[in-house]
Amino acid sequence: MIYLDNAATTKPDSECLKSTEKYLISEFYNPSALYKGGYGLQSELRETRKNIISLIADPENFELIFTSCGTEADNQAVFGGGKRGNVVTTEGEHSAIYSTVCELKQRGIEVRFAKLNSDGSVNIEHLLSLIDEKTSLVSVIHVSNETGIVNPIAEIAKKVKLKNKFALFHSDGVQAFGKIPFRLAKDIDMYSVSAHKIGGIKGIGALFKRKNLVIKPYIYGGGQEQGLRSGTENVFGIKNFEFAVLKKYENITNNYSNVAKLHDLMLKKLDKTLFTVLSGENCSPYILSVSAKGLRGETILHEADDNGLIIGTGSACSSNEKKRYSRVILACGYSEAIADGVLRLSFSSETTESEVLMAAGILNKIVAERKEKMA
Amino acid sequence: MEKVIIVRYSEIHLKGKNRGYFERVLILNMEKSLKGLKHEIKRQSGRYIVEGFEEQETENIISRLKRVFGIHSLSIALRVETDLEEIFKAAKSVCSEYGKFKVSAHRADKNFALNSMQINAEIGGRLLSCLKNLTVDVHNPDFIVNIDVRENGTTLIFNEFFKGAGGMPVGTSGKGMLLISGGIDSPVAGHMIAKRGMQIDCIHYHSYPYTNMQARDKVIELAKVLSKYTCGTKLNIISVTHIQEEIHKKCNGEYMVTLLRRFMMRIAERIAKKIGAQCLITGESLGQVASQTVEGMASSNSVVKELPVLRPLCGFDKDEIIERSRDMGAYEISIQPFEDCCTVFLPKHPVIKPSLVNVLEEESKLDVESLLNEALSTHEVICL
Repeated sequence: MIYLDNAATTKPDSECLKSTEKYLISEFYNPSALYKGGYGLQSELRETRKNIISLIADPENFELIFTSCGTEADNQAVFGGGKRGNVVTTEGEHSAIYSTVCELKQRGIEVRFAKLNSDGSVNIEHLLSLIDEKTSLVSVIHVSNETGIVNPIAEIAKKVKLKNKFALFHSDGVQAFGKIPFRLAKDIDMYSVSAHKIGGIKGIGALFKRKNLVIKPYIYGGGQEQGLRSGTENVFGIKNFEFAVLKKYENITNNYSNVAKLHDLMLKKLDKTLFTVLSGENCSPYILSVSAKGLRGETILHEADDNGLIIGTGSACSSNEKKRYSRVILACGYSEAIADGVLRLSFSSETTESEVLMAAGILNKIVAERKEKMA
Repeated sequence: MEKVIIVRYSEIHLKGKNRGYFERVLILNMEKSLKGLKHEIKRQSGRYIVEGFEEQETENIISRLKRVFGIHSLSIALRVETDLEEIFKAAKSVCSEYGKFKVSAHRADKNFALNSMQINAEIGGRLLSCLKNLTVDVHNPDFIVNIDVRENGTTLIFNEFFKGAGGMPVGTSGKGMLLISGGIDSPVAGHMIAKRGMQIDCIHYHSYPYTNMQARDKVIELAKVLSKYTCGTKLNIISVTHIQEEIHKKCNGEYMVTLLRRFMMRIAERIAKKIGAQCLITGESLGQVASQTVEGMASSNSVVKELPVLRPLCGFDKDEIIERSRDMGAYEISIQPFEDCCTVFLPKHPVIKPSLVNVLEEESKLDVESLLNEALSTHEVICL
């Protein structure tokens, strides 16, 4: 089985699992407990936070709030930051932001969406035009989970602060963290990440937050995570996350260039008469979005699955037109026919060249055959 | 004092010499519906008594039996020895704390010292004197304390009636094949026919890979809901992918639905005959969608050679069907957004009033028999 849906989730790293299983078996204590076992874990978690923050930012300036997933981190940022006036975001956001700001709208906060360029990146001029003195939060996805486009968040955050220095800037970095080399710029206030996209387990994410930033929690209880995310810490998840992300950052540059080669190889091998390439030049090499013109992505997904290839898609067999087509792909200006046939091929550092060659062969074959049947 | 459930049947009591047969089927269906729960069912002069169950399972038993066709009503009763003191204690424990009440006694055991009227007066009087917040109102009571003095030396006391599913026991009116989709209508159609005593098996058509596994799971879930009323069902699943592709390729797209339905009916009839089903059942409602016109029905009927086609929803509005779907517990599943028949092939303007001549002309472009055989080769059966 060839697995090319790594943007959805990655296979958990077995070495990470092995190294951290002790937190389920012997080191199972509650880190808030006062006895040695619990207190010891609390100290370990302090180090873990520093270790993870150091990978992309200065621990002196940022703190880390562990959450149950990237979606929860996004929710915390939106509900914590979007308290008044208006919130500005983009049409290219993951539903973790999109649905959350829609809920914010229901609660009386004005929400403004910045348009996308044809490559899926946010139209910065339009975004800036939406920001005024009442803007409390701006959220821009770092790497699009659908097109793979990389938004220049450092540049955007800087321009946002020039327009309104009180507006908070958040970015959903779930598809970037552990994959593309970058540092958190000083104008970025909050940044969401997730473990299972980089070889960690599901059920653990985190929100990077600037230290001097005061936001309100939306989960209350025992006051863990500096009061921002109550609930007993998922020590196993956190340690597994740490192990996985440290491993990724050890080789992040090499991984990036290797995956870029695989991305280019796939692009070269896919039959351009069958596929329209949606991922542009400034995309993360980890995601390649193409459209099987005239076919439905889900049909190809099922056939690929039957042929031993797992991929992602942008459309579903839904009677609801609004749900059927990806709003992000449509926001890039593509037609419904293109949006209907979107396939998302996403790689990991474990993907091999032979897998890419085989996958391209399978896709070319099934799409050609299906087109023949549908002609 | 023991808790029991009284089960009263509906139309069966109108049956003459066949009554025993209907009763046997009903008791069998009740047993099936209570499978896995400790209980015993006993027949007692024109009704059944469910006894010997764990008290905490009472609600569960009631809700299961409410889905058994052939049952008119149910009551949770206290069974005591036929002794006035015991009857009073039980009557007191079924009373509400406040309100207007009356006592309604029925004395099957004519040897009991008091007659019905005397029991009413005696128990009513005692209740009134010990429960100060109650008053008697025989014309418009808030609740009725029913006392049923049986011949076997026991008395049943209850104050509530639960409406049963009505109809006839499933299995007493033959067997039918329901064409089930993932929509709202077909499970309701199956439910309606099952209510009249028909055992239902289902047939579902999918077009994987144009449709997904969630759509299939949705249909399985719907068939499971139906099976709670039919004491089990078999779901036949057939792929019509190649048929759709061939129609798409060779025929006028406007006839896609009309032609596909003819294939579905042919396949359904063949499998129905194989399993001994005596009719086909569809969820069509006249004029609801473009394909559900009388001309469309005539077109699909014309390929069914021997079996009658029942369309119980023909005269229903959509909101009436939705109401029934909610009542049977299928609606929330039916509205899940998974297409059972891929919209890729659906024409924007399907033919609304297909003439048989045109349909046959379009169909002549296809190798009907080999397509049917190919579809039948994908046949799988799930027992629910």
